[in-house]
Amino acid sequence: MAGNNTVLIIGGGFSGLTVAVEAAEAGLDAVIVEKNPYLGGRVAQHNKYFWKLCPPNCGLEIQFKRIKNNALVKFYTLAEIEGISGEEGNFDVTIRVNPRYVNEKCTGCNKCAEACPVERPNEFNFNMDTTKAAYLPFNQAFPFRYVIDDKFCKSDCKNICMDACKYNAIDFGMKPETIKLKAGAVAMATGWNPYDAAKMDNLGFGKVKNVITNMMMERLASPNGPTAGKILRPSDKKEVKNIAFVQCAGSRDENHLAYCSYICCLASLKQATYVRELYPDSKVRIFYIDIRTPGLYENRFLWKVQEDTNVTLTKGKVAGISEDPATGDVIIEAEDIHAGKKIKAKFDMVVLASGMVPNTGEMKRAAGIPVTDDGFVNAPELKKGIYAAGTLKSPVDVARSVQDATGVVMKSIQSLRRG
Amino acid sequence: MSEQVISPDLNFVKEVIASGGESLKKCFQCATCSVVCNVTPDDNPFPRKEMMLAQWGQKDKLFGNPDIWLCHQCSDCTAYCPRGAKPGEVLGAIRKLSLAHYSRPSFLAKMVGSPKFFLMLFAVPLLLYLIILSAIGHLDFSKPYLNDRGVMSYSAFLDPTYFIDPVFIAAALFALVIFAKGVSNCWKDMSGHAGKPNVNIGSALFATIKEILAHKRFKKCTVTKARSTSHLLVFYAFIGLAVTTTMALIYLYGYKIFGIQAMPFLNFGQSPYPLTDPMKIIGNISALALLAGVVLMIMNRMANSAKAGAGSYYDWLFIGVVFGIMATGILSEVLREAAVPSMAYPMYLLHLSFVFFLFAYAPFSKMAHMVYRATAMVFARATNREGGIGNEN
Repeated sequence: MAGNNTVLIIGGGFSGLTVAVEAAEAGLDAVIVEKNPYLGGRVAQHNKYFWKLCPPNCGLEIQFKRIKNNALVKFYTLAEIEGISGEEGNFDVTIRVNPRYVNEKCTGCNKCAEACPVERPNEFNFNMDTTKAAYLPFNQAFPFRYVIDDKFCKSDCKNICMDACKYNAIDFGMKPETIKLKAGAVAMATGWNPYDAAKMDNLGFGKVKNVITNMMMERLASPNGPTAGKILRPSDKKEVKNIAFVQCAGSRDENHLAYCSYICCLASLKQATYVRELYPDSKVRIFYIDIRTPGLYENRFLWKVQEDTNVTLTKGKVAGISEDPATGDVIIEAEDIHAGKKIKAKFDMVVLASGMVPNTGEMKRAAGIPVTDDGFVNAPELKKGIYAAGTLKSPVDVARSVQDATGVVMKSIQSLRRG
Repeated sequence: MSEQVISPDLNFVKEVIASGGESLKKCFQCATCSVVCNVTPDDNPFPRKEMMLAQWGQKDKLFGNPDIWLCHQCSDCTAYCPRGAKPGEVLGAIRKLSLAHYSRPSFLAKMVGSPKFFLMLFAVPLLLYLIILSAIGHLDFSKPYLNDRGVMSYSAFLDPTYFIDPVFIAAALFALVIFAKGVSNCWKDMSGHAGKPNVNIGSALFATIKEILAHKRFKKCTVTKARSTSHLLVFYAFIGLAVTTTMALIYLYGYKIFGIQAMPFLNFGQSPYPLTDPMKIIGNISALALLAGVVLMIMNRMANSAKAGAGSYYDWLFIGVVFGIMATGILSEVLREAAVPSMAYPMYLLHLSFVFFLFAYAPFSKMAHMVYRATAMVFARATNREGGIGNEN
């Protein structure tokens, strides 16, 4: 075995975390490079997993604990890959770590945020609310350390924040750092982004106030979300008791995403249970082309949701959405295929089940990463020693991402042994 | 639910695919098309159900269905189709097959629908006139043929009374008889499949004509909105040319049979007529409207081809023939005015051949959409098929 025992992991979401802990527990050195100020990625934004309906934070906590207990895992947050060169067994990696302006003395006391006079849009909640410019990304963030957004926190703000901190944890002298290291294998796990729903000009996103995406719905339903788990619609904070889900909002559409995003049917069925549990008198209607719940437990979940008489599944893709200006209600146009009728129906709020877009942007910059026509990483064409995990290769759920990430660990071990 | 036995006609599926509906099988029945369509009724909307019927080879349910004609091929469905199944193009292909079904003999429909036979069909009138010309010894195009007033004319070249009117009246009658039979069969099938008319047919007809004259339905299209202008121009150009032809007949036979002489404004007598004559003015304005309409149509089709589909041979043949009539007509007039017999007379022959093509083959070409679509629109009104859409016009 050559000297290099390090696997570089790009992305600290659930796939990347899995690669890191599994690799470290097999005796490799694992280095995670995460762009956000926290680990956990998309999973951290979720309220519940389908089909078990348990909160993803328990899974995340277990992974974080494994990281804390294993000295072989190193991670950089607010970090980006600047360059990767070399070959299997001997990659030269350059990492840029952006300043957090908060050092390890931070106790998470929240005093800086309390004092901070400036607000910033909260992208963790898809800009449905704001945080202070000195903020904790979310209440279970790991590392549990505040961040200062220097795009918003300028001169005065800086002084106020510093004065508020009793622990000398705020340091505006921090500069971007460049770190160079060697790795024997690279695991890309940069995950996915929601498809930009505004691109579908007939579905009203961005124009009709009470049209949101499925990921926004996760935040609305989360106890640590912008409405503290009450599902309130954006326009007037009214409780959402009559809701529609629009399946295939972008997916299975060659004008947008030609592929099926796989998770959206289950996500909408799951989100139907959020509303039904929160508001017992609520009504849910799901408009679909085909309900796709691949797998035994997934199918059982569909049947369970279907048993609820307040949940209606209507076959017919929604192709028109407008706003009732008087009430802010959302009007949906669809053909109810089984009834053979074109319908217009009104809802308090509409959720677009928008699809998954692989987050390959940064990867392509780092190296010539081969992609398929659909934009996913074309794994068989990858250079030796470089691997992709999870949703970079195909739209998958968390469980399948974890399985895939575990496979990537095996591949990385082989690379290190060869190299 | 009662049991239904469906026997797919696989040959029909292949025919739809071969007639410009090659994207048919891509449809996965999501119903985006029915929703974005602005001209469909809400009840049993098209074109999703037509896509399914076509995939299953349900020929009779499609031919006996006024909806395939209520579709004006706005192509909003095609633009928004997530699968590139191009419902607009598929319905166009179904309409073409429907024409071939109702307009007999079917071999002529096949010939008109296929580029292989274009030259053969075009040669029919051309050869006929070459034979006539050789028989009357007018094959020499180098000199002008002069009328009674000593002016270079087409009427002295080919006497309309003997060589034009009989040929075109025969062609028109031929088309008329085929249309009458086809429309009556189509109406019968629609009554069988889509219910009996329960509204006075006369008032349905009147309302339909009013709607067609105003071209209101085209304005509901989104992607091909510009088409309402080009279609309107072509439509009224044809009406103008029909008026011109009628006036020309009155001038000629008023003079020949009743001995009416030219009077101020109205130039009874033999052609050519002065450019200031009302008939001539209507004719020339119509020709220019036709030029503008056809050119706009071609430009719109090219501009929209990515969203609306490129169109089939059937569409382009019709546009091409109308373009041919217009271009050869205008050139015939210009060349005659310029007194260039060597080019004017061959151009006139081409013009006659194009007009013959349009008239004689009308029941088999896209020209027939005029008759069948109007029939379906009357039927839809008479059966209350269109509800809101029919009444708001």
